[in-house]
Amino acid sequence: MDHSARVYDDITQMFPDEENPSPIVRLNRLVPEGSQLWAKLEWMNPFGSVKDRAAWAMVRDLERRGELGPRRPGRGIVEPTSGNTGLSLTAIAGMRGYPMLAVVPSKVPEEKKVLLQVLGAKVEVVPDALCPLPGSEDGTIGLAKTHAKASADRWVMPNQYANQQNVEAHLRTTGPEIWRQTQGKVTHVFTSLGTCGTVTGLSKFLKAKNPEVKVIAVQPSPGHDVPGIRNVSELDVSQLYDPKLVDEILEIDFELAYTVAAELARHEGLRAGPSSGLIFEGARRTARKTPVACGVMIFCDDVFKYASNMLKHVPGLVAEP
Amino acid sequence: MADYANPEVLVSTDWLRQNLKTPNVRVVEIDVDPKLYAAGHIPGAVGWDWTTQLNDQVKRDIISKEDFEKLNSEAGIKNTDTIIIYGDSSNWFAAFGFWLYKLYGHKDIRLLNGGRAKWLNEEGAPLTTEVPKFERSQYKVSSVDGSLRAKVSEVLAASEKKAPLVDVRSPDEFTGKIIAPPGMTETAQRGGHVPGATSIPWATAVTNENTFKSADELRAIYLDQKRLEPSKATIAYCRIGERSSHTWFVLKYLLGFKDVKNYDGSWTEYGNLIGVPIEKGG
Repeated sequence: MDHSARVYDDITQMFPDEENPSPIVRLNRLVPEGSQLWAKLEWMNPFGSVKDRAAWAMVRDLERRGELGPRRPGRGIVEPTSGNTGLSLTAIAGMRGYPMLAVVPSKVPEEKKVLLQVLGAKVEVVPDALCPLPGSEDGTIGLAKTHAKASADRWVMPNQYANQQNVEAHLRTTGPEIWRQTQGKVTHVFTSLGTCGTVTGLSKFLKAKNPEVKVIAVQPSPGHDVPGIRNVSELDVSQLYDPKLVDEILEIDFELAYTVAAELARHEGLRAGPSSGLIFEGARRTARKTPVACGVMIFCDDVFKYASNMLKHVPGLVAEP
Repeated sequence: MADYANPEVLVSTDWLRQNLKTPNVRVVEIDVDPKLYAAGHIPGAVGWDWTTQLNDQVKRDIISKEDFEKLNSEAGIKNTDTIIIYGDSSNWFAAFGFWLYKLYGHKDIRLLNGGRAKWLNEEGAPLTTEVPKFERSQYKVSSVDGSLRAKVSEVLAASEKKAPLVDVRSPDEFTGKIIAPPGMTETAQRGGHVPGATSIPWATAVTNENTFKSADELRAIYLDQKRLEPSKATIAYCRIGERSSHTWFVLKYLLGFKDVKNYDGSWTEYGNLIGVPIEKGG
């Protein structure tokens, strides 16, 4: 596929891979002296987030196995999602003619709930847990699994929390992209934890290339309000997390996710979402302690979907100035 | 290894699978999120919405004896049936339903250990969207066991004489850092806890599979660490009375406490009262 002219017959040809990587951009104003930090702009993917990679891999795998497609007429996709995976899956489902049911927690910002519907998903909202459950199921996973099990003729659940395709996608694409884009010079990777497909796939790939690469996960403080990412205490839900693949976990006050995202927009021209704010704050703190020669930060999505959350968390913002 | 004080009140998912077609075994689902039943449930189960079917729709109270009779009769449940209750969130509202059945004197009521999540995760455990139809029965409540329910006057008296009170909410609700978990519509004017209450969050009693911990583990927590005594009258409370039903079940049926009550008014009653004493902090 020739990407030089950016001419495509179908939007799916734009999904990222080593030949068509999402961009990495060096930060020049907010980075401590002596370090180089690069942001990998995952919002440049066709449906706006890092989740395009897992969603595309999971749908193709279901099609290959005959779980979706002509052999299962009328069957659609049901998935628990805090929004991004749902948006990617919904867009893909729409193009393929599959119904889509997105099960989202009530905490997800309104923008995502509306966007899911704009793209054609039916959305079911589940109340957030009242206090942390020790079990491995949260409300959205429970409801989505129930649909997939009780109405298997109507729904199949890719299950991003347990689907190895979620890891494979990053082994096949994100890892090789970063290796090539940094010409093998990457020393640190900074990412968040959610389903953990990104951290596990990236770490496996990059550590196989160079065992010295440091993989640093940045997590929000407990009780956070940052959709899509998790504190380690909430990781029971993911079967893809392997602590051996993570060198360090940094915990950052979740309010900083929002204020640092605004800082990135104001000083670096990067319209980064709150999880990117959190990741950058983790990377900046690491760089303040020891210079980071070539750090790559996974900026999962942009801020457009979080306007209402930004309004809540960034001092000085007003809806009607 | 010791057994639970009343092991007969729990059934395993295996037991239920083998008894789905046993005559006089009836299954009831009660979830925190009532959408779950419609999405899929255990075959033959009826589903009740705690917000509209288990609580009075005018005054704040549990449903009346008459409404309870009507609910069961319409579901074709008989007084002699063995009822198995299950639900989401480790059986929170299933435990509330269990408490309600005991309050209204049902003889044979049991909880599905592990609840909905355990069933859902088991290979081959059936789920259906089909709503079963049953012939109407003549369910009758012959006695009401008020000894299972604490009123606020009893809570105040217990606090005054330093009798055991168990606060099963999250630590932040107990200390008063928050009044209710974010997003909850049922809340209170003040945060904190009933003076003298011991904080033992409900989740202390369950495993990662949502099943109850073993009798030995439960004893170690509730008796050895938290110093509760099975012979002393004890009251459990939470925010609206469902998480405390869960701990009430643990204390009464798994640990064999003689006199334990569920204060279903809980913090949404206590934290709204004028002039009652409140303690803050840990």
